[in-house]
Amino acid sequence: MAGVELLDIVKRFKNETVLEGVTLTVAEGETLVLFGPSGAGKTVLLRLIAGVVEPDGGTVRLDGRDMRDVPPELRNIGMAFQNFALFPHMNAFDNIASPLAARRKTAERVSEGVERVARLLKIDQVLTHRPRALSNGQKQRTALARALAASPSLLLLDDPLRNVDAKLRFEMRLELPRLLAAEGATTLYVTQDYKEAMALADRIAVMFRGRIAQLGSPAEVYLSPASLEIARLFGDPAINVLDVTPEQDSQGPFVRLSRLRAPIDPGLHHAVGKDCSLGLRPEAIRFVGGETTGAIPVTIEAETPLNEKIVTLVTTARGREILVSRPSGEPGPAQGQAHIAVDSAHALLFDRRTGLRIEPSRDDADVRGAAA
Amino acid sequence: MEHTSTAERILRGIAIGAVVLFFIFPIFWILLMSFQTNETILRNPPSIAFVPTISNYVALLTGRLETAAGTLDISFMQNLKNSVILSVSSVAVALLLGVPAAYAFARHRFRGSEDIAFTLLSFRFAPPLLIVLPLALYFQDVGLADTYIGLIWVYQLICLPLILWIVRGYFEDIPADVEYAYRIAGHSWFATFRKIALPLAGPGIAAAGLLAFIFAWNNFVFALVLGSADKQPVTVGALAFVTASGIQFGQIAAAIVLSIAPTLALAIYAQRYLVEGLSLGAVKG
Amino acid sequence: MAATAEMDSLARRRSRIGTRALPYLLSLPALLVCIGVLIPFFTAVYYSLQRYRLSQPWAREMNWGETYWQLLTDPSFWNTLQVSLSYTVLTVGLQLVLGLGIALLLQKRTRLNNFVSILLLLPLMTAPALAALMWKLMTDPNFGILSYFVSLIGIEDFRWASSPDTALLTVVLVDTWVYTPFIMILLLAGLRSLPRQPFEAAALDGVPRSFVFLRITLPMLTPYILTAALFRLLESIQQFDIIYAMTQGGPGDTLMVFQVEAYLNFFQSTNVGRSAALLLILWAITFAISNLFIKNWLRLRERTHEEV
Repeated sequence: MAGVELLDIVKRFKNETVLEGVTLTVAEGETLVLFGPSGAGKTVLLRLIAGVVEPDGGTVRLDGRDMRDVPPELRNIGMAFQNFALFPHMNAFDNIASPLAARRKTAERVSEGVERVARLLKIDQVLTHRPRALSNGQKQRTALARALAASPSLLLLDDPLRNVDAKLRFEMRLELPRLLAAEGATTLYVTQDYKEAMALADRIAVMFRGRIAQLGSPAEVYLSPASLEIARLFGDPAINVLDVTPEQDSQGPFVRLSRLRAPIDPGLHHAVGKDCSLGLRPEAIRFVGGETTGAIPVTIEAETPLNEKIVTLVTTARGREILVSRPSGEPGPAQGQAHIAVDSAHALLFDRRTGLRIEPSRDDADVRGAAA
Repeated sequence: MEHTSTAERILRGIAIGAVVLFFIFPIFWILLMSFQTNETILRNPPSIAFVPTISNYVALLTGRLETAAGTLDISFMQNLKNSVILSVSSVAVALLLGVPAAYAFARHRFRGSEDIAFTLLSFRFAPPLLIVLPLALYFQDVGLADTYIGLIWVYQLICLPLILWIVRGYFEDIPADVEYAYRIAGHSWFATFRKIALPLAGPGIAAAGLLAFIFAWNNFVFALVLGSADKQPVTVGALAFVTASGIQFGQIAAAIVLSIAPTLALAIYAQRYLVEGLSLGAVKG
Repeated sequence: MAATAEMDSLARRRSRIGTRALPYLLSLPALLVCIGVLIPFFTAVYYSLQRYRLSQPWAREMNWGETYWQLLTDPSFWNTLQVSLSYTVLTVGLQLVLGLGIALLLQKRTRLNNFVSILLLLPLMTAPALAALMWKLMTDPNFGILSYFVSLIGIEDFRWASSPDTALLTVVLVDTWVYTPFIMILLLAGLRSLPRQPFEAAALDGVPRSFVFLRITLPMLTPYILTAALFRLLESIQQFDIIYAMTQGGPGDTLMVFQVEAYLNFFQSTNVGRSAALLLILWAITFAISNLFIKNWLRLRERTHEEV
């Protein structure tokens, strides 16, 4: 039995359609991350599932039950909001206790329950404080504790780390997967941060303009993004995009980078002659000595250390800007002229007109035919 | 603005002094009159040197006025009682009816909700006699003439739009997410209304109630048309008192003081919310 | 199993009806009051189309627009209109100028200014009918302090509200005493909510103050001024309490504004039809103003609540 089933959900506000036909299934116990730019409809989707917003079309099923006309209080959901939405006139304890109190637990069970999640989230020291007296991090933990308190079967977390500082966000990113695994609840997690998405998700649903553009494991979305738009959002520094037109010779399909022949996946022979965009992850480019075959001469423009890696901005002879990334310890040219080599065989190719990725065909006959 | 010259500061001081004098002097003067006998009031030229007496207040409180011509009964205490009954119950009814409606208008945009809200608002600005004169005839037929209930009903005309629009603004200022969070935690909408919306809008509701009280207390025309002597509040009663007693100026002044004291005291107490109330929630102070 | 499913769906249907009907239920009382207002309103329309005197119930009949026609051809109606308009223009104009002046005077948030602005609330919170009585006592020819002051500057026998020459002036004075603070506190709130940058920039550039006032302060304050002025316009053209308590419309017909005239028509001459027609004409005027007002008021309200 599935945790959450969404069938063709449509939602309009006035004349604007914010969700157009979203269909999605989240398995029981799974953590699914809704990822996308703001305005993509992620938050509205969560609210529809929670029942505080009604869909204009489509069906929401939780544990196989149609949720039409089931009010939010009967859906057994825990939800954390981006702005925390704590009850300002209640202290942290009462905030966290509210789902337990609603389930008519005895006072003893309520305080047991509150203390359990408070310990888990390390806020047992501030339970008597009103939200106003809490730091942002404590607010966020209180909001999470409130969502978890009644051990709901479904957790909806709406960008809970959005409004906390970088350090806390880093800590929580490490802590949350363990927490969610321990709770065992089906989880829908909204975020705009791809690292958060990669760290937490069993699967990621990438949303654009009220639709799900891609659904897959973090590795799938990162390695085989369905479109250039998705590829640009995943990865930091962002993916390099070069306009190319694939050609073909006796050795198979290739693209020209600075007049040099760069072979691409043989399965991409059907893209030959099309206007394409080539997506090169900065990690797939490395500095090499000038004598290496296929080395492209570049000029170093700037170098930025970025956490565990160093990002270098270079320009090619034709003036194209390219980002190169290497692990922090690795030496590299500091300035002046240098050469780079591109692992073009693993580059991503997108149709320049539609923005969709061109998938290499895996038909052996095709590949053999092309090689002949 | 930093370079205010001495001359300018003096001019400002004089201007502020004049403003205070114009607006406060009448209240001050009537207060002085209320502690004087007719003799000192009628002195010419007038003077602020006199031996204060509370005889005017005593006469009002006991309801009996001993004059050279004989004893005069004053029903002013009844007027004061009527003012309290009418204002308190009107505000109570308006809160009871208006607060849930304000919540509905703030949170559930439903068909016709704006129409109702605006009809109430626009009739807040219609000539009161237009509504009250036909009612005077109706009330005769249905037995509401000269009853507290009939008057309290009519007072809703001023209290209800006030409560509705001010409290609605306060409900709208509560983030919807806070209410959503409470419902998702497992509480019915009614529990959410009681435990979240009401406490958070509490100060605003109290302020709206105080203002509605002031407006109800100060109302003149409703009771003038619809109430007879034993149901009339101080505004109408004081006027009748002037006509009846004629020359008892000290008592008239004392009656005025007693009539305006409650609203003035409340106004100072609630002054933080007055701007908002007077603009029906459009401007915050 | 089937039974629970059935109960489940029943409970759900009930909750569905509950949630859909809820807002209507909540606003039902307000709706009823609304209807309660509309019924007398339409009754008034009905009366205005009749020849209807309480003293001559036998002569009551529909005369359609005749009452209105009689009104329009009656000089006393034009007097009423003229008095009402004069009263409105004088009070609102005077109060706007005074209110704006005082608001500017008290603009800075100092203790003294805050104290004064609270003091100025007192006249506004005084019942207008009682305010009229207060001024009546102060303008009494025998012992009124204002009469005394006037005699000090050499004007003997100034008769205030009892003389046709000065009656309008007197009630305008009372109205100004009561309502100037209304305009003042609205404009003060407006002034204090204005963004500071334009003023700081102007001060840095050494722009003359008159220019700052005309080109920055006034335009930015316009929504507040409009809302306050329209609000006062609506109340002023309907003024009843002050005038009735002061002179009952007299002396003669000097102060016969709409509502006083309608009141006296109803209770003294028991001419219900004429009274209703007068009030409906007044209503038409106020309705036009109130639409303007509500538009401005809504804009201001939205702005205020967005800031929160």
